[in-house]
Amino acid sequence: MKLLATLALTLGFAAPALAGVNEVLDRHILPGVTGFSAATEALAQEAEKDCRPEALRPAFQQTFDAWMPVADLRLGPSEAMALSIAFWPDPRGFTPRMLGGLIGQEDPVAGDVADYAEVSIAARGLFALEMLIYDAEFSGYAVDSYICQLVTTIAVDLNRQAEALAATWKNGFAVTLRSAGEAGNTTFLTKDEADRAIYTQILSSLEFTADRRLGLPMGTFDRPRPARAEARRSGRSLRNVVLASEAAHGLAMALADWDLPETDMALVRVLEAAERIEHPGFQGVTDPQRRLRIEVLQQSVRGLHVAIETEIGRKLGIAPGFNAQDGD
Amino acid sequence: MTTRRGFLASLLAAGAAPHVGWASVGNPAFLAAAREKDGSFALYGLSGTGSATFRVPMPARGHAGAGHPRRAEAVAFARRPGTFALVLDCARGEILHRLTPPVGRQFNGHGVFAEGGALLFTSEQASDTSEGAIGCWDVNAGYARIGDMPTFGIGPHDLRLMPDGEALIVANGGIATDPSDRSKLNIPTMQSNLTYLNLSGAVLEQVEMEADLRRNSIRHLAVRTDGLVGFAMQWQGEPGVAPPLLGLHHQGAAPVLALAPLADERAMQGYAGSVAFSGDGSELAITSPRGGRLHRFSDEGVFLGVMPRSDICGLATLGRGYLASDGLGGLFSVSPERVDALNRFDCAWDNHIVAL
Repeated sequence: MKLLATLALTLGFAAPALAGVNEVLDRHILPGVTGFSAATEALAQEAEKDCRPEALRPAFQQTFDAWMPVADLRLGPSEAMALSIAFWPDPRGFTPRMLGGLIGQEDPVAGDVADYAEVSIAARGLFALEMLIYDAEFSGYAVDSYICQLVTTIAVDLNRQAEALAATWKNGFAVTLRSAGEAGNTTFLTKDEADRAIYTQILSSLEFTADRRLGLPMGTFDRPRPARAEARRSGRSLRNVVLASEAAHGLAMALADWDLPETDMALVRVLEAAERIEHPGFQGVTDPQRRLRIEVLQQSVRGLHVAIETEIGRKLGIAPGFNAQDGD
Repeated sequence: MTTRRGFLASLLAAGAAPHVGWASVGNPAFLAAAREKDGSFALYGLSGTGSATFRVPMPARGHAGAGHPRRAEAVAFARRPGTFALVLDCARGEILHRLTPPVGRQFNGHGVFAEGGALLFTSEQASDTSEGAIGCWDVNAGYARIGDMPTFGIGPHDLRLMPDGEALIVANGGIATDPSDRSKLNIPTMQSNLTYLNLSGAVLEQVEMEADLRRNSIRHLAVRTDGLVGFAMQWQGEPGVAPPLLGLHHQGAAPVLALAPLADERAMQGYAGSVAFSGDGSELAITSPRGGRLHRFSDEGVFLGVMPRSDICGLATLGRGYLASDGLGGLFSVSPERVDALNRFDCAWDNHIVAL
């Protein structure tokens, strides 16, 4: 905002220059959505060749890895599209229910990728695939079965979603972010607002990791909920925490053009805490000793959150949303 | 030029008291509370084009307010648990009256004028039990407390005057809170309701949520000229569930719940902060500062679209569409066809915009 800039100059200080939005887009988000799109293409090709679980699992794991750098973005096209790519958490069990319904009726929608885009988002994307190729209830299917066809369709639909996500970022929202503060941009009225939006995404992602990815399986000490761990069927719960933390760190590095020593150290602590956890699906939450290590991991993720608030938020004078923080 | 007759007429209209009208403060169309950059608080009058017509400093953070129908007087309510409300002279920037709830009561952030501005009703709850009450104040007697009546629910929040001017609608949020820190005490057993009362306090109708939506707290209201009520809710149940956050109700009929597509609904994070009808009444909108989005619905509850905006919350009817405000200082005109940024102040707009 012109007025703000003038004020800052008058008072003899300027807001620290940000590598900012361009770096975030060019180094992190756009390569991220492109990489995810490529991974889903490989997954879809694999499924069309051989849709059985053993054949698909490696490509599935690679696709999930490629998703994690951009998984927690809830900005622009990712805001609504992320959920149909990765429908989690699912406290009411919509995914198994929807898939069970399709399979029970042998719904012909499994044979038509275009129509499949209209089914419930709980039956689409990575978690629907995970359910079918890892969960014992579904994964015993044969090559010419209904489920095999369903798996292929979900994989191809996922690829289409990933392509649409990448294209909408590149041609749409990246432009909106880069033109922050320019006339006609009603999403970001100033340059600062775009920086703030990215910064908020970083913190929300770490909150999601601490409160949901870790907090849901932890439950309470008296009532741990191991079945609520994210992607536990594919043994990815721990890996997702690590990749999400690395993604938050990467976004922070791109947003700031100064050193972030505390943030770097905090990420090291996350990685160290993760190494001490044996079960990749957090199934140790029920054992007091192993649970403690998962708690330490949760604390280290919160430590990364604090470090980024200190090294970026405080420096830029960004406080949490005035209304978002204050329910009433 | 003021004629003697015109002067007398306006004097009569103002209850024969020497109060100045809204014209003296630039004819604001809206009131909005804000936190200034330096951390202080203020109440603003805003025009329909998003410029400030007046600004009155406030001693503490406000929540919502109520504007007198004629006099340039606004009642600004403190945030919950509200220990005070201030009657502000918007022309002189002075505090005319400081309203305090009776011992054992607290204000709940909202209030409304009735009887042409002769009465003020305030949303209140008992500090110990959270039982709801409506406080009644005689405006012409210097805002003297003249009584109260129950809301027939726990933790009332917003209240509105129905278009006939003879009934009130109250959102009993259902949440019992600790009197000191606002922490929620009864989430497992909470039950929200909408209650219509006549001005003497008799119940005309009460609407409750179905069992599976019992933990959906009805908190904010908008009323169309034909009596259609839009109610906005805040989900107190398990996170990740995407319950409806908007309902529509006509007296005598069953409520209609309005859902957005699942991915959009979930992005609202179970929280609607404000609700308003569009200027032409054909649709209404809710805002979620947590989700950073505004959702539009038809008056039959059909989802029409989304406007993303960080920390958006304040919402009122403007032109054919809406005026929306946010915690970054932005003011937007939102219509079915387009969004225009009207202004950006160097302040954080608080939860609500009150239409005058």
